[in-house]
Amino acid sequence: MSVTPQTNAGEVRTESVILGKQSYIPVLLRLIGMEIYKLRRRIMSKVLLSITIIIAILVFLLFSLNTFFVLNAPPENFAPPCSSSSGPSIGQSQPNCPPPSAAQVAQFREGALRSASEPLRLPTSLSIAVQVALSAGTILIIILMGSSAGGEFSIGTVRLMYTRGPTRLQFLLAKVGVATLCAAIGILTMSITGILTGQALNALSSIPQSLDFLSAGWIAHALLYLLIAMLDWFIYATIAIFFGTLGRSTVAGIVGALTWLFVEPILGSILKLAGTFSQGPFGNFLKAIPDYFIGNNTGALLQNQGQYIFGGSVSSLSDLHALVVLAVYLAAFIGLSWWINEHRDVTN
Amino acid sequence: MLQENIEASFQSNVIISTSRLTKAFGRLVAVNDLHLQVMRGDVFGFLGPNGSGKTTTIRMLLGLIRPTAGRAVMFGMDTAQQMPSILPRIGAIVETPVFYPYLSGADNLRVIGAASGMVSGKANQRRIDEVLELVELHVQAKTSYRKYSLGMKQRLGIAAALLTDPELVLLDEPTNGLDPAGMFEIRQLIHRLASLGKTIFLSSHLLNEVQQVCNRVAILQKGNLIKQGNVRELLRGSEQVLVRLNTLEEIQQAKIILEEAKQRGADWISAIHVQMDRQGQSTLLVDSPKSYSTEINALLARNSLFAAELHPYEGSLEEVFLQLTTPSVPSGSRQGMAALAGGSSAKQQSGFIKGAERLGNGKGGIE
Repeated sequence: MSVTPQTNAGEVRTESVILGKQSYIPVLLRLIGMEIYKLRRRIMSKVLLSITIIIAILVFLLFSLNTFFVLNAPPENFAPPCSSSSGPSIGQSQPNCPPPSAAQVAQFREGALRSASEPLRLPTSLSIAVQVALSAGTILIIILMGSSAGGEFSIGTVRLMYTRGPTRLQFLLAKVGVATLCAAIGILTMSITGILTGQALNALSSIPQSLDFLSAGWIAHALLYLLIAMLDWFIYATIAIFFGTLGRSTVAGIVGALTWLFVEPILGSILKLAGTFSQGPFGNFLKAIPDYFIGNNTGALLQNQGQYIFGGSVSSLSDLHALVVLAVYLAAFIGLSWWINEHRDVTN
Repeated sequence: MLQENIEASFQSNVIISTSRLTKAFGRLVAVNDLHLQVMRGDVFGFLGPNGSGKTTTIRMLLGLIRPTAGRAVMFGMDTAQQMPSILPRIGAIVETPVFYPYLSGADNLRVIGAASGMVSGKANQRRIDEVLELVELHVQAKTSYRKYSLGMKQRLGIAAALLTDPELVLLDEPTNGLDPAGMFEIRQLIHRLASLGKTIFLSSHLLNEVQQVCNRVAILQKGNLIKQGNVRELLRGSEQVLVRLNTLEEIQQAKIILEEAKQRGADWISAIHVQMDRQGQSTLLVDSPKSYSTEINALLARNSLFAAELHPYEGSLEEVFLQLTTPSVPSGSRQGMAALAGGSSAKQQSGFIKGAERLGNGKGGIE
């Protein structure tokens, strides 16, 4: 075994050991690379990624069923309205009206088809893809990060890792870094898959994708919309990391974050209801509490961007309010995870 | 000036130094007031029965748990403040090493390499191959870790500890799960590492193994350091002369003669014990420097007792350990039973000791 002196700290190591830069950021980047490598090699990551793609495709397949039914509906289903008071009707018999002309049927059929296939085309398909990602996809990121953070304790590899040199904060930041990356990859995968599936299924309707909405502003707001969706995933990923660290197990990480995800909207509804029944300042206080919940604030951010992309109203919560609340949550979860890690003895 | 240089040189050679190191879990004091000193190039044996605080000490040295009191200094740096600078210079196994089950042995080492400051990618493949070959896991390098046997897992732990070619190798029960051939290889490996100037800190139950590889030892009991020193010096303190006679009556006579000689002023006799050897035959062990073998022989011969066998008895670390950690047991019985146990673990031997205690209490025993 040949040995060569190293310049750092006067240590002597064999020449086959090639060390990288040992300053804070290079070490952290290597740890993030290590976390990505571990995720890449896990079957669970591949399974979860496959599920996200399948869910995105399935949802758009379901939406395309409507188009399929309209395409296969008989012509009498597209009868024009008898009087000006009623709108176009599908599937309603009009016994007192004269039979519609072929041109009228074709016009109403196209109107119904356009309406039915609307979710398959941009910009609506973007909204649907993101909404699907934020419901089913959030569960998947929680499973991934809960098992990644809690698994180190469940398996026992935390002992191995904490004796290798980097600080516990660096290990935590590496997990947070990989959570950011997973959130970005997940949201982009689900959005792109959904949009592409929608476009492919839209070919059934023969209605072309209009690009009239497309502008630099629209693209900027669409990107912000996607970033907010990533932020939503990232927050739940940090909750999973926090609970995984606190409970020192995969189960704690997953169950803790899922409980948060499902209990928050229920609690919000209860508080709103209780606030409505309790009049006065106390009632107002109860009603105001859900304004500080994660879901309501990410929802507000999405709604505020959505008005530029899809139209609609502005949320009652401002972007600044939502961003401050979410930043406090992130700081609290990451800070508490760090504090627990720093002050805890690693035994078994 | 010279004194200062000597002091500085000494300090630079101290790899581990603990001072009043204490760890309490609630009311349980796992390690109490520990003063340890491990020098550069030492193969340091860290001994103690189960629950004596060995692993807790190792965990404190590695920063996995924080001391309740006292401090540990490694490579001249305080572990409380400079752990990130200390850890890259250490390779460690703490208890049974655990790795990522979904990765192969080589991939696990790749991950550990990245965590240990080694560059990522293929650059360190040569080193990974080297350490896998060193622990004879190169054939199973690509096999999933979950398919590894206990011995293979232990070897991978050693490979991980050696991956960055550290100055200090800290091994907590490295031969757990290894077969005798595997244990032999680990001993060889430790010798090889020591010859390369590495400092080895070896915690083990296998005293025979420690005696063969270590130059210094510390013995811990119930969290307290009861002995620390050079192995040779410790063994020298247990010098004895073994006397074998033909019958049990002769042995009893010889014992009486030697005890009378001691009472008359033969201060080179510390104690006399009757023991059974591995063949179940009674022998006499005299706590005395080996240079007095001739005097013992002459004394017995003057009383018409002629020894069938008489020679200096080579003490073992096992016996020293048992003497120090089980003070209520007469040393003769301990030695006899240790001999009977012949290389088994300390835990197994405690059963033999209890048997010896019964013999020593006159309930059908020889003594």
